[in-house]
This record gives sequence, C-alpha cells and structure tokens, in this order.
Amino acid sequence: MSIVYSVAPPVPQQPIDQVPFHEWSLPDGTLWSLFFRRATGYLLRFPDFADFNISYDGHEVSAYPVPGVSQQTVDHLYLNQVLPLALGRQGKLVFHASAVEIGSAAVAFMGESGKGKSTLAASFATSGFRFLTDDGLMLEANGSGYQVMPSHPSIRLWLDSKTALIAPDTPTAPALEFTSKSRFLAGESIPFCDTPRPLRRVYFLGDGSTLAVTFQRMKPAAALIDLIKHSFLLDFEEPEMLAAHFDELSSLASLPIYFRLDYPRRYEDLAAVRQAIIEHATHESEPA
Amino acid sequence: MNLSDKPTIPAQVMARKVGDETVILDLAGGTYYGLDPVGARIWQLMGEGKTLGEICDTMLDEYDVTREALQRDVIDLADKLLEQNLISIG
Repeated sequence: MSIVYSVAPPVPQQPIDQVPFHEWSLPDGTLWSLFFRRATGYLLRFPDFADFNISYDGHEVSAYPVPGVSQQTVDHLYLNQVLPLALGRQGKLVFHASAVEIGSAAVAFMGESGKGKSTLAASFATSGFRFLTDDGLMLEANGSGYQVMPSHPSIRLWLDSKTALIAPDTPTAPALEFTSKSRFLAGESIPFCDTPRPLRRVYFLGDGSTLAVTFQRMKPAAALIDLIKHSFLLDFEEPEMLAAHFDELSSLASLPIYFRLDYPRRYEDLAAVRQAIIEHATHESEPA
Repeated sequence: MNLSDKPTIPAQVMARKVGDETVILDLAGGTYYGLDPVGARIWQLMGEGKTLGEICDTMLDEYDVTREALQRDVIDLADKLLEQNLISIG
C-alpha cells in the first residue's frame, strides 16, 4: 500500500466554519469523529485528539495532534480509523473485520463494534492460530478469489476479554487516551501472520442470543448488503466511486463463502466455538 | 400507487444481480434493498418504462399466479421502493 503519512507539530483545534457531511458517535452518544470535504481532500476531526487531512486520492495523510495527546494515540487513530478510510479512497476493499489463519487460508469475522471480532481473533491467536488483523480487514483480488492482507500486529481487547484470554506477562503497547481497551502486541503468545492468505470464509457475527454455535449459509444478496454495511467508505455521496465499489463488492459477494455465525458469549465456551469454526471452515463442502 | 402509475428509476439508484437475487443501492442516500427473483423481474420491467399494469400483464405470462395476487405484490413492492426513494413517479 502506498500512503505517505506525516505528523505535524501539536496545534489546538480551531472551529471549522462548515457543516460536517458525516459524523460518527460512540454507542454512548459521545461524538467521536466529524467528516468534512475540503478543496484537496477530506478533513477528519477527532474532537480533543487530532485532525487528519486525507488527500482526495487517499495517498497522503497528515495528522495534526492536539497538544498533550500522545504519539501512540495519534498513530493508533491513524492505523485504526484513518488508514482504512484512506485505503478505501484508493479503491481498496476494507472492512470492519478481524481475520485469522486456519490451515493455510484466512477466515474473517465481520460485525459491528462489540460483536466479538477481536475476542475471537485473540482467542484463536492465543491458541496458536496466527492472526492477520483485529480490525480494518483489507482484501485484494487474486485470480479467482481474494486474499487477506496482513494489518498491524496488535489486538485491542476490553478488560473482560483481556482477563479471560491473555497471559499476565504478555507485552502491551502504551495505553491510549481515548479507550480503556488494552492493546497487545503480537509475539510468541499472540502469533501474527505477516503474509497474505487466501480468503476462505467470512463469518458475520450475530448478537449472541443463541444457546449453541450456529452456522447459516448466506445468499449472495444478503452477503452483499452486509458487505456494504461493514465497508470503510469515506464519502458515501460520491456516485462514481461508490458505483465502482458496488461492482467490486458484487463480485466479492458472489463467492460461496459467507455464513452467519452465532454462539453464546461465554468465555468458558470459546474453546468449543473455536473447534466448531475450525471444523466448519475446513470441512464444510462448497455448494454446487 | 395504482396500476396506471409508471415508475422511473432515479439516476443515482443502481442495481446489481448477485446469484438469483438483486440488490438495489441508492448512491445518494446510502440505502439498499434486496429483491428476490420475482422482485428483480418487477424491477427490470420498471427499468423498461412500463406501468405497473403493463408489468402485471407481462408477468402473468411468465408466472403461475392469479392476476389479483400479482397486482397486490407489484403494488406492494412499488410502494416500498417509493417510500425509500428507490423509484419515483411521473
């Protein structure tokens, strides 16, 4: 991927005399980020943390941290929030999903925040399966299929998942100002896969309101709608780019690899969930 | 809507066939809608500029269905698509 990323000296955020074309809020209603169109690209504002300029073609990103905000926080916002959007501007396929290596292929877990993407990835990783990403899944077309590109080698977990899954001596990255999630660096106890792997399965995660592990094959149209929902797209109002993206997603959705996956959200069941996924991902026959 | 209405598909609305179904996306509003094969056929005939009545006439030759049931389905779908700005009238 070719992106020039630079960080400018800290500067207080100035009011912007423009209505944002898009906003993201956290589940508790807190305003998380504001999106503005500019003459040469886009401005993303994370209030009290940093502004990011993204060039129109997605190849250049400049960060403007608020004074007092750590370099780790700025870099993390870049890697998890801004980079996937910039890659989307370049026409790349980027999704809210984690992915792990099972056999020699990649298995992806897609879902909204809080559905368990990172927990599943961490659960596989701590059991010896290398992870490719804990969010911001990037796909590249490769012959008749797609391959999952490795992301940055860290996993973010809430405290309850951390306690259940991670050995106490596992190295953590410095704490970030905007979240109580811990960030674990890949290493011996959390192995990372640093080479692309062919995409074999995509599981869309349910809400946990089930008594057992369930798999349900999805039809291509349902998969397409969910792929659209989970895409990182910076500007939904730009018809030409969106049309091209729609085309690409339609091809992707035509593959017979999509399932809804749900399971009770109990840490003590995770080993059984992993086993069921491994069996499903490696033995489920392709449809005719 | 009624059978004499002739829906048009706005320029910012596009559809893609995936498998035997069709997904419609409104590029302006970001809304999307999935159609089963029968709905996809209705959508295709809307794209050819037919009235809802003409769509029913065409589909009566293609499907084993009563005129009453087909008219109800066609009008129901058109109402839903209109409500989501995926078609317009007039």
